[in-house]
Amino acid sequence: MLKLYDVAGPLAPTRSPETVVEEENDLDRPWVTIVWDDPVNLMTYVTFVFQELFGYDEAKATELMLQVHHEGRAVVSSGPRERMEHDTSRLHAYGLWASYQKDA
Amino acid sequence: MKPFRRKGDEYVARLDSAEAGIVGLLLDQLEQLLAGEEDDVEGDEVIARLLPEGHRGDPRLAADYRELTRASLVAGKSDDLATVRATLPPDGGVLRLDVDQATAWLRTTNDLRLALGTRLGISAESEPPEELVSEADQQLAVYYWLTAVQGSLVDALAAGRAGRRS
Repeated sequence: MLKLYDVAGPLAPTRSPETVVEEENDLDRPWVTIVWDDPVNLMTYVTFVFQELFGYDEAKATELMLQVHHEGRAVVSSGPRERMEHDTSRLHAYGLWASYQKDA
Repeated sequence: MKPFRRKGDEYVARLDSAEAGIVGLLLDQLEQLLAGEEDDVEGDEVIARLLPEGHRGDPRLAADYRELTRASLVAGKSDDLATVRATLPPDGGVLRLDVDQATAWLRTTNDLRLALGTRLGISAESEPPEELVSEADQQLAVYYWLTAVQGSLVDALAAGRAGRRS
């Protein structure tokens, strides 16, 4: 499983215990943006778009593209729902086959 | 066709007259489809691929997503299309694009390939036609021609980006 969202780190020192528990429950299952395999989009194009939209370096973008190609899907970003909606729409603007959902 | 390559800050290709004509016709068709009222194009397989569901399995979230993003996605695709049309030499010739124009070409040629690919039922096993006998062969040939155009543009833009970073 890809870990693109650091659930520990920045929250711990600034939140009260109650908030932390609540937030942690939520953050245990963040929302994710998924790209699905399709027979039209070129592998080089998909890699290019991942770099363009998410700032991934070529190695990371290629790894994700190959995961889409071989496994049929890959999680390309994770975080709050609104951001995943936004990421999905940016991928749709480039014609990638994307959707967002609560992380399984 | 002379494929795209990077020349300094520009992305340059050459289309012959027939090729420019085909791109123009495909742009017309895509424009018409994007301009369609949402109710009229509902259920159209190409629209479903160009503007896919944002959420699978939850109709309420899918409807939210559509309401939130559809208009701006259509506007973005229409802007790209207008850029391609404005920079396409109608009778063929040399194309010289800056990076923004080239990116519009990249997205629009992808939309055209998605549209054609969906109509033609392209799968991972599809191959270019060996002879051009039927109408379907011709369309398949256009699809693979667009693939070559877009492929050269991706490579040129990726090289350009690497160049800008170094």
